[in-house]
Amino acid sequence: MHQLYGKAPPTAEITWDVGWPILMLVALFALGVPVWVSLGFCAVGLLVATQVLPLSLFGEALFSGIDAFALIAVPLYLLTGDVMVRTKLSDQLLDVAQATLGSLRSGFGSSTLLGCGFFSCISGSDAAGAAGIGRITYGRLVEEGYPPNYAAALIASGASTGILIPPSIGYIIVGLVLGVPSSTLFIAAAVPGVMILGSILLTNIAMNSLRRYERSDVRFSFQHWLGAVWRGRWALLIPFIILGGIYSGVFTPTEAAAVAVVIAIGIGLLQGTLKLSDFPSMLENSAKVNGVILPIIALSLPLGQALGALGLPQSFVVAVTSISDDPVMITLLMIAIFMIAGCIMEGTPNIVILGPIMLPLAQSIGMDDVHFCILMMTTLGIGFITPPLGLNLFVLSGLTGNTVFGIARHAVPFVFGMVCVAVVLAFVPELSLWAVR
Amino acid sequence: MRSFLSWLNTNGERVLLLWLYSYLVAVIFIEVVRRFALSHSSLWGEETARFIFIYLVWIAAASAVRGRSHIRLDVITLFLPPRGQALIYILGDLATGVIACVALYWSMAPVMTSLRFGSVTEALQLSQALFLAAVPFGFTLVIVRVVQSLIRDVRALAAGQQPYTGTRLFE
Repeated sequence: MHQLYGKAPPTAEITWDVGWPILMLVALFALGVPVWVSLGFCAVGLLVATQVLPLSLFGEALFSGIDAFALIAVPLYLLTGDVMVRTKLSDQLLDVAQATLGSLRSGFGSSTLLGCGFFSCISGSDAAGAAGIGRITYGRLVEEGYPPNYAAALIASGASTGILIPPSIGYIIVGLVLGVPSSTLFIAAAVPGVMILGSILLTNIAMNSLRRYERSDVRFSFQHWLGAVWRGRWALLIPFIILGGIYSGVFTPTEAAAVAVVIAIGIGLLQGTLKLSDFPSMLENSAKVNGVILPIIALSLPLGQALGALGLPQSFVVAVTSISDDPVMITLLMIAIFMIAGCIMEGTPNIVILGPIMLPLAQSIGMDDVHFCILMMTTLGIGFITPPLGLNLFVLSGLTGNTVFGIARHAVPFVFGMVCVAVVLAFVPELSLWAVR
Repeated sequence: MRSFLSWLNTNGERVLLLWLYSYLVAVIFIEVVRRFALSHSSLWGEETARFIFIYLVWIAAASAVRGRSHIRLDVITLFLPPRGQALIYILGDLATGVIACVALYWSMAPVMTSLRFGSVTEALQLSQALFLAAVPFGFTLVIVRVVQSLIRDVRALAAGQQPYTGTRLFE
């Protein structure tokens, strides 16, 4: 982001002037002040203490920071998710998933995860998927023999692919902050996103054979499968339009989202699952989520700019490379930082603040920018199911009445599986880059 | 007048958000259709969508203050007695109020500059101030909602009652 200011900024010492606003951020955070407000205090504090940029930047950033066509995709993907749930198209996706994987021993658990994956191909947010799929499958998972906390952890983990499988709000924000086209990131993220889903599926299968939660006796029937696909053809059409449109270059991610919303609404109205009178509450719900997510983006931007202007990214590179310049060590260090940050902070500020700080470090070891974005998102994505601030844990806790920590305990095996995938992605750049070179 | 204010109190942000949201979806979809059908898109479509989006963000932020749905770390809050919870919420209200005032003050400056120099938008040639006003407008609403919330929380504190914990992000 510091490119905005022309010349490269000087490398700064980490002084008390930088230290106290960051300590204040942590303190406000711990005291339960809303995340976006805490970020605002930190940004204003930094500007006042260091004078690195004028305070008027803060006022301008709240407008110009979010004045981007790419960001309009955020409300549109949020709404697509809501429309899918409201029109019951998500149930049809789940039926297809169940017809596909229901015959496994861990049949319903695996189907739930595949359903989360399908939903992720439509919705750009993980919280919408967690709520949408969780609402349908949680009760049934418990009936099938999964402990309540484990069932909630399963859905929370599966839903984290919402932000990892394109289209994804996360990649839109990364692209905006680091200046990489989000459609490129969407193409690059396809294989890594599916690998993460695969790791969660395998973890559940492994946990199942260990603990013997579920014993499905459904037999796979090709005829039944074809029937489910035919019944769900309209629901399956939507990911096809979104991803096909973006990958072929016909639509920008924002346009694809608008087309998907309108088509989903159209299908809902034609099939009679959506009434005009449903619109106010549906839009209101999406608007509420917008009001929660977007201010966090808006207030992270001036904070990131201030840190960039202070030369923090450069001094970070100098500090790290003076300890070790071994690419393997630095890559592992990046993974560790992203994971720790994912635990203590919410996803969006992590992307906006850490992205510009860590990118120069990645470049110093010759990592490709796109590869860096994929690695960062995948590793930060794990933070959605780690306490105390995992967004998916919150959504599932609200939905099911289990405590955040109860769910988090059962999420540990899934975290382990996801970390393994992240490490593989870090050291095999081709997995992220083969399609975009 | 009284009944109008009470209607505004319950529905103000809601109605604005419904219209803005619908506009956003419609205009971008129409632009796509235009590009395919007429093979050119309008100049104003993208511009108005961008500005409407900024209004949507800050009005929705105010609405989320009202519903207490902003993401916060509530691990500590949950273990506190009602009065302690009320105090935590009051701290959050005050902090939100301070940031909203700072944002209101500093976001007025670009509006004033635009009015003084008569800057206009690229496509529509409308006054830029009309769009820049999205931020101060939104934060004015935030301040109103924070004051309401503060009154509610101070009452809960005085009475020792369970404070309002807000609506869930997803029901």
